[in-house]
Amino acid sequence: MSLVVDHLRKRFGSVVALDDLAFEVAPGQVFGFLGANGAGKTTTMRITLGVLEPDAGRVTWQGVESHRLPRSTWGYLPEERGLYPRMRVLDQLMFFAGLHGVPKERARREALAWLHRFRADDLANRRAEQLSKGNQQKVQFVAAVLHEPQVLLMDEPFTGLDPVNVMLLREAFLELRDRGRTVVFSTHQMEVAEALCESVAIVDRGRMVVGGTLREVRRSTGRRMVRISVQGDHRLPWLAAVTGARVIQAGMDRSSVELDEGTEPDDVLAAAIGAGARVLHFEVADPTLEQVFIDHVGRAPDEEVHLAPVAEGDVA
Amino acid sequence: MSAATRNIGLVARREFIERARSRAFVASTLLLAGLAIVVSLIPLGVRLVDKATISRVAVVAGEPGLATRAIGAMDAFLNTRLDTNGSPGSGKFTFEEGRDEATATVDVREGRLVAAISIRRTDDGGLDFRVISAGALAADRAQLLQVGAFAVGILDWTASQPAATKPFITPTFAVVDSGSGSIAAPGATAPDAADYASRRIVGIVFVVLSFLTLVFYGLWVASGVVAEKTGRVMELLISAATAPQLVIGKIVGIGLAGLAQVSLVLAPAILALLASGRIGDALLGPDAGAGASLSALSPGLIAAFLCYFVLGFALYAGLYAGAGSLLSRAEDLQTVALPLSLPAVAGYFPAVLALSGSSASIIRVASFVPLWSPFVMMARLAVGTVAPWELALSLGILVATVPLVTWLAIRVYRAGVLMYGQPPTIGTFVRALRGG
Repeated sequence: MSLVVDHLRKRFGSVVALDDLAFEVAPGQVFGFLGANGAGKTTTMRITLGVLEPDAGRVTWQGVESHRLPRSTWGYLPEERGLYPRMRVLDQLMFFAGLHGVPKERARREALAWLHRFRADDLANRRAEQLSKGNQQKVQFVAAVLHEPQVLLMDEPFTGLDPVNVMLLREAFLELRDRGRTVVFSTHQMEVAEALCESVAIVDRGRMVVGGTLREVRRSTGRRMVRISVQGDHRLPWLAAVTGARVIQAGMDRSSVELDEGTEPDDVLAAAIGAGARVLHFEVADPTLEQVFIDHVGRAPDEEVHLAPVAEGDVA
Repeated sequence: MSAATRNIGLVARREFIERARSRAFVASTLLLAGLAIVVSLIPLGVRLVDKATISRVAVVAGEPGLATRAIGAMDAFLNTRLDTNGSPGSGKFTFEEGRDEATATVDVREGRLVAAISIRRTDDGGLDFRVISAGALAADRAQLLQVGAFAVGILDWTASQPAATKPFITPTFAVVDSGSGSIAAPGATAPDAADYASRRIVGIVFVVLSFLTLVFYGLWVASGVVAEKTGRVMELLISAATAPQLVIGKIVGIGLAGLAQVSLVLAPAILALLASGRIGDALLGPDAGAGASLSALSPGLIAAFLCYFVLGFALYAGLYAGAGSLLSRAEDLQTVALPLSLPAVAGYFPAVLALSGSSASIIRVASFVPLWSPFVMMARLAVGTVAPWELALSLGILVATVPLVTWLAIRVYRAGVLMYGQPPTIGTFVRALRGG
């Protein structure tokens, strides 16, 4: 039984935040919810949590409507980070775990264990206002997982983290998945989704654009790609002879070449050899998620969407 | 224990600890408690000053020798300390014989004398005492003079033995104003006037205290909600606990912190007030006129205050929680603080009217209006008589209103806490009420 987002609709005044949004997440998966700001990710998560009511549609987990489930089913990391500024970190973690019904001693033990694992033992007795943003984010993540929820809903969890902490968080995600938890996270960083997710959904302005396993989504545009590395001139001048092929990313090490439908990878290889280039590496690949996103949505995921200003206020 | 009870308890505990540990709470509690103790010791100070004040009183009598006898009796009764052998002139009064009533009245009017006592023999052989004073003669002094008059009456009676042939006639006693000559406070009602003044003082204290605490602690609730919103911890909170748990927990926690502060401020003040009578007696000797300001502070009134405080706070806290949840910025709180305090201010005025002894029907009606009854009914209880059914009805309406307002507050809160960037207008409120 999976997490089913079942044709959600939600309007804030004149702005449509969700427009018949539907997808499914299999249990035990890491699922990427991809979209630019204002795509409806936060609204979907809030409806899932039961703190916001949809105008139509519903969300179910294992067949039960989400608002009927106990709050402790979910572990939520909001996009807007916030803690009680004057409260000690350990006290806050125990407070939030307590709200989910975790006994005091267990909460303390688990909280300290998680802080240790995030290399943040020294934060336990500090007040939240003394913490850096990255550290606050780690504390919030711990607050979201302490009660061992069945489903983790993480809104832009990697934003604002340094590379070391991104790595620690990625490891935590995978470990939680291995413990049978379902992890849903939203992001506009496609490379993170590519590295972590088994399935993804790309949403734009409240509408589902494309969804499925990572492979299905990457192949959804019909385009293919080759990655090629040649000795000498990496700008691949001989490629001009191949119709329907162009360099989308030129690199000293490896260049990515995008192929239109009807153009075969073999044509590129043949042209390279024909031109006397020495091919060091040749690989047929699917397009990156970033390219898929641009193809479907018409712009990069980190470009701002211009919705009516009211919507920002409503759905922030 | 259900999850709801557990979470309400956790939220309330967190709120209580956060308030009680804050420097502002500790500082304001100490300051207010100090102030309350000082205020409660004022009667003692007044007694001290009063003790040092000697009132010059002239005694005039139409009958030869009566003035001299009266002065002797009054001096012995009123100026001798009971715990010592007494020394003349150590008391509150200096008595002297006046020439006639007209001269004495002029002397009183012009401030040379505090009062003049005119004694007349009545037709039935009793004595009539008229105390002529300018303006207000302190209630306790008037009381003492009445005691003195009684003593003179007894001496006069025993002097004209055999007593069996002539029954004792209680002397009549009245305080009149030197200017108008009208009776200012008949002897029999002088203690009642003191009691009424005491009731008014106690009433004012309770009305002001109710008003300040409900508005002040209400603002704590609103600012707490706004702080959670602006600090964005709300997102985490609302995903961990439900809106009713958060609203009720907050109201209970802040209410208990407020109650703790009120108790910490009032308890030492009441103790000081109680002790000041004894301290005064020990330092200054027993005094019949002292301690009158405490007489209206009955346990029943304190119990009523606590009931109205708890229920009134629950009501106002609901309003403030709902309003706070609609705000996005701490600055907005200043914008809504004034309109939010208007219901309380509107209840404050009938309460002040009630304290002045008015029994207009609007005041009686106001004492049943839930937002106002914590002030108006407290005022009525302090100064006058309230029928048991009136008190029961007033409390009953309040008890019934609290859950209704809390329910509305939860509804507004649920929609409001995730609403950012909207102006705090009536329209926003209505939208929130309809569920966002």
